[in-house]
Amino acid sequence: MIEETVTVKNKKGIHTRPAAMLVKAAAKYSSDFTIIKDGMEINGKSIIGVMSLAAEEGAELKVRVEGEDEKEAFNAIKKAFETGFDED
Amino acid sequence: MNRKEQQIQKDSITVEYLFNANKHRLKLKCLTGDTGFDNKVSDKNIHRPGLALAGYVELFTYNRVQVVGNTEIRYLNHLTPEKRSQAYSTLMKFDIPCIVITNNNQIDNELLELSTKNNVPVFKTPLETTKFVYFISDFLDDQFAAQTVIHGSFVDVYGIGVLLTGRSGIGKSEIALDLIERGHRLVADDVVVVTRKGEGILMGAGTDLVKHFMEIRGLGLIDVRSMFGIRAIRFQKRVEVIVELEDWDKSQEYTRTGLDNLTMEILEVDLPKVKLPIYPGKNVTVIAEVIALNYLLKHYGYDAAKEFQSRLENAISEKTRMKNRVIDYFEHDFE
Repeated sequence: MIEETVTVKNKKGIHTRPAAMLVKAAAKYSSDFTIIKDGMEINGKSIIGVMSLAAEEGAELKVRVEGEDEKEAFNAIKKAFETGFDED
Repeated sequence: MNRKEQQIQKDSITVEYLFNANKHRLKLKCLTGDTGFDNKVSDKNIHRPGLALAGYVELFTYNRVQVVGNTEIRYLNHLTPEKRSQAYSTLMKFDIPCIVITNNNQIDNELLELSTKNNVPVFKTPLETTKFVYFISDFLDDQFAAQTVIHGSFVDVYGIGVLLTGRSGIGKSEIALDLIERGHRLVADDVVVVTRKGEGILMGAGTDLVKHFMEIRGLGLIDVRSMFGIRAIRFQKRVEVIVELEDWDKSQEYTRTGLDNLTMEILEVDLPKVKLPIYPGKNVTVIAEVIALNYLLKHYGYDAAKEFQSRLENAISEKTRMKNRVIDYFEHDFE
């Protein structure tokens, strides 16, 4: 299990497009992907779940990946966050 | 789902929030301006400060909302002015979040000034104490209730709250959509906020943001409310049965009789659970309806599995009994 805190870097926060990007990235792997914000724990593979966090710029999210391909999955997810979802 | 679920629970609410949320319903009036509105209420219980006013402050639960009713006011009124302000000063030594005076009782200006000085807001309500306590306890219970978020689809099927869970992509939303199409009502999809109310009661609802939107793979987001209308949705519902969908696994054993009751624990409440293997061509929607109806039947005292079991047992014991009958030989004797 990998658990790490990541920060939302892009100005518009996790709106529809970044949410779709995250979900798509996670769906490529079999590992379970969970995001926790303000005690709310949602499934990172569900677009409605990710959007319901309404994460703004600077928001800190705890990301948890668990499964056989957790390393690869975590790297892909982390990359999406670090590049600000290719925005700005 | 084996992991202990993440609980969300508020540690405290501000007096300002409490006042604004209840001022219309409980007809609250603030007598002390906006002083002490940042005070925190961190206990869901309320307290009547009668004994504290009389000077006994051991075990005084000062951190609760203090409700001053007829008894306290009568007591204060029968004191001499000096004793009265002394009694009030005793109260003010503590870090009280707020005071509510019920029955529209009058309170000394001097006491109000003392409250303002000590940053303790004083509210007034025309409601009787018992009624006020009933309402405010309900509100506070709600505010401090344990909550958690569950990944699943939550539908009211024939009045039974059916929570569909399972891995993402297994088709929860599609089953929910099918149920809506058949006249059942969607409560929430994907993100179900479950709140524990009272003992053993779990209420499920959607989040304000997502409310009644759902995602269908390959189609995208749809709004159930505008598509199917108001009768297809519901704001909240008690969670009653959990249907866990999983891929058909040959090595697993599934119940064949329904006599072995599975349960799942959410927020320390045990709920009946049905494990449902799915494979192409299986009509899960109809099964979900049957699960709801079966649950209803059980609550009306009819358990199909047990009923069948007792019939079978009767039939078997009847056979044994017949075997032992000696007169059997003579019964069809027409001689």
